[in-house]
Amino acid sequence: MKLLKIGISGVRGIVGETITPDLVMDFASAFGTFSDRRKILIGRDTRVSGPMLHTAVLSALSAAGCDVVELGICPTPILQYMVKRLKAGGAVSISAGHNGWDWNALTFINQEGMYLNEFQGEEILDIYHLGRFYKAPYNKLGRIGPKPDFLDEYFRSLIRYLDMERIKKARFKIVIDACNGAGAKMIDLFSKSLHCKLIAVNNELSGFFPHPPEPAPRNATEAASIVKLTGADVGFVLNSDVSRVSLITEEGEPLSEEYTLPLVAGHFLRRKPGPVITTHSTSRMIADVALSHGCPLVRTKVGQSFTVQTLVNEEGSLAGEGSGSIALRDFQPAFDGFLAMGEILETMATSEKKLSELAAELPRYYMFREKIYCPPSKAHSIVSRLKDFFSGEEVSYADGIKLENEDGWIHIRVSVTEPMIRIISESAIQEQAEKRLQKVLNFISQFI
Amino acid sequence: MKKTLTLKISISGVRGVVGDSLTPQLASHFAQAFGTYLNGGKVLVGQDPRISGVMVKNAVFSGLLSVGCQPVDLGICPIPSFLYLTKESEGKGGIVVTASHNPDDWNGLKFISEEGLYLNPSQTEEFLDIYHQGEFSMVKADKYKAILSEEDPTMPHFHKLLAYLDVHPIREKKFKVVADCCRGAGAKLLPKFLKSLGCHVILVNEKIDSARPHHHEPTVSNITHLCHEVRAQKADIGFAQDADADRLAIVDEKGRALGEELTLALAMNHVLAGKPGPVVTNLSTTRALDDLARRYGVPIFRTKIGEIHVVQELLRQKGIIGGEGNGGVIYPEIHPCRDSFAAMGLVLEAMARCGKTVSQLRDEIPLYYMMKDKVQGSFQQAYGILRGLTKKYAGQQKISTLDGLKIEYENAWVHIRPSNTEPIIRVIAEAGSPREAQTMMRQFKKEILGLKTWKSS
Repeated sequence: MKLLKIGISGVRGIVGETITPDLVMDFASAFGTFSDRRKILIGRDTRVSGPMLHTAVLSALSAAGCDVVELGICPTPILQYMVKRLKAGGAVSISAGHNGWDWNALTFINQEGMYLNEFQGEEILDIYHLGRFYKAPYNKLGRIGPKPDFLDEYFRSLIRYLDMERIKKARFKIVIDACNGAGAKMIDLFSKSLHCKLIAVNNELSGFFPHPPEPAPRNATEAASIVKLTGADVGFVLNSDVSRVSLITEEGEPLSEEYTLPLVAGHFLRRKPGPVITTHSTSRMIADVALSHGCPLVRTKVGQSFTVQTLVNEEGSLAGEGSGSIALRDFQPAFDGFLAMGEILETMATSEKKLSELAAELPRYYMFREKIYCPPSKAHSIVSRLKDFFSGEEVSYADGIKLENEDGWIHIRVSVTEPMIRIISESAIQEQAEKRLQKVLNFISQFI
Repeated sequence: MKKTLTLKISISGVRGVVGDSLTPQLASHFAQAFGTYLNGGKVLVGQDPRISGVMVKNAVFSGLLSVGCQPVDLGICPIPSFLYLTKESEGKGGIVVTASHNPDDWNGLKFISEEGLYLNPSQTEEFLDIYHQGEFSMVKADKYKAILSEEDPTMPHFHKLLAYLDVHPIREKKFKVVADCCRGAGAKLLPKFLKSLGCHVILVNEKIDSARPHHHEPTVSNITHLCHEVRAQKADIGFAQDADADRLAIVDEKGRALGEELTLALAMNHVLAGKPGPVVTNLSTTRALDDLARRYGVPIFRTKIGEIHVVQELLRQKGIIGGEGNGGVIYPEIHPCRDSFAAMGLVLEAMARCGKTVSQLRDEIPLYYMMKDKVQGSFQQAYGILRGLTKKYAGQQKISTLDGLKIEYENAWVHIRPSNTEPIIRVIAEAGSPREAQTMMRQFKKEILGLKTWKSS
């Protein structure tokens, strides 16, 4: 089976199988046609296939008459920030985020610096399917513009946003595992700007990931042991484009990536209360935190496009997912790993509490996840069969199928990034969550 | 009437119109096919200064990377330097993003073999088969390479030129030279090259720019400014390169453009005087070369039009020198490709060794008058026209159908052939006087137009 996922904000697949110059150029041509000759930024992570996608995108955008600014290796949140800073028409991010090094993807950013919304995504797909791309005449081709010092610009704006006085005073010692991704080397400037002492792990621009670039406890063992060894205050694990972060306590205990959002929210909502946006798949911890601050909680479909669009539309305070991503509306409408790290440090500095103490203040839930690989062509029909399984119970169909009651919740949906069905079950009682997950698994496996 | 075709895939590579047929997708397909043909390895990539160069070059990079090749970016590089470097380096081949003398809205790709030569007909056929089959050997991410770049790709060529030219007598003469780089790639090497030959160099159009100062071809009517400059500066000689620096036109010390047909004749006269041996040129080049070959008692071989045909015949016959009447001099001792630098060097060497001026050297070449013209016509129309003319003249005159139709008379000849790169029919006539040449041209154009209207009615 060849893996290719075309979503509303981009396209993702395995290099050499489905990610080919052809496919990349056709999508970039569609995005160029959509962008109507405006300036477009291009950034990428460190994957070795990055230059192939970059040159294909550059060529296609130029052919569509769009001027191009090449940011080179650049985390997606910084790329999103620079779109507004340079008043560009949009951006193309070349990164497969948490997927393995043999994957790659294009994500399209609109002029607001946000992932394309559903309508924009539909329009790009329509242009792509029609295959009639705008071709500029030879003297109106897009040209390559000068490369700005984007790191300096971005970090200056980040430290203006954070409570630097408190952070500076705390003199934190931090461990960051950049997973040799787009954040590599940039974490040095990040730590310097925030007056932290950095112990860097996997800080090479090699494009080969020492572990899967997915921030989660199972990928945090190396960084966790270094936190313990060096007596650092906190550890961070990044994905390949710095849109997600998971945390390690000062005791060297890797926290589930579900903790990043509620820990940031607990501090941030005190300063800036307002609606909280998250997905149907995110832990109840955030619901409890929002409730304790008297803030409404809005749940959307999974994906940056949906959550951050809702954050803007509903004039929310913050948005985030259980995968370790957060966006603060008054900073920028983007999932931003640097901002997440900064907010965690600010939380620790302001509360004068250790990360383990802050984590212990959150209500304890047990979450179990399972994924079932299955052809995308079958996935949706399998998920819809669960209607019978849950008959008699009140379920939500907003994103796949979700059952939620006082015992906890279980959510079954088709992945937007990979050919699989994801099942997430959470409860305050461990066995409850496990038992429910197992029942659903048994039911589904008869169709695979 | 049929719409003019804007894409041409031939022995000379692929050429198309930007904003129409020449898309990033097309360029990347060709790069993938070429990378598949080479089966991986380093591939040198160069470009001429056209605006669309960046767009096409990046598409080529993408295509090469996807099949596991490692592109080496040479930027804007003179073609002879590019070809020589391909041979000398560990590169397995090369792609040049250029449309040579086609109009500004065109661009294209030329494909170079490991030996630093344009692909020959059988190699082209193999490579085009891969393109048409569309099965490219794309690799997984672990086989991906990074893009490299070369700081000064002209260096090996520069050293080779100096090693093979008789440098000392040229340096002693301290020639005053006006040189027109056509705002093209030649500017990367020309000042350094001429200065190292001890010349006092006055440069014209030496800033590389996508806009051509005059028409791309260094023909007599396109270099009048250079003639003025040579006169004004009281220079010994004027040189005009084309934009990719493979062809050369010469202006004598009196400020007269010699016509690009004479470049090869001057170089050949000099080379044969020192070392007689076989010479090779194409069917369309001046008869003065036959006279020179007779003068030195060496065989002359005529080939189809296209640099690669001349080059192949040169290699086959172990020729001493060869080339084309468009100012393309091929001197295999340096590298078997058209090389404006080698041509300059040989002409300066001739002046230095004989102690003669350019006009004196020119007077040693038999005088002919050539006219070049073209008629719009598709390849299909050209076929019908050529069949008609061949039938008519086969019995009457000595003809050659090696490439189109060449009809030879006692003191004149005419050559009619479809272009390899554009949908036009080229007509070339040469005779002992301008009037004879003109009369012949008028007669054959009339015949062609007659056959063309008859075909389409």
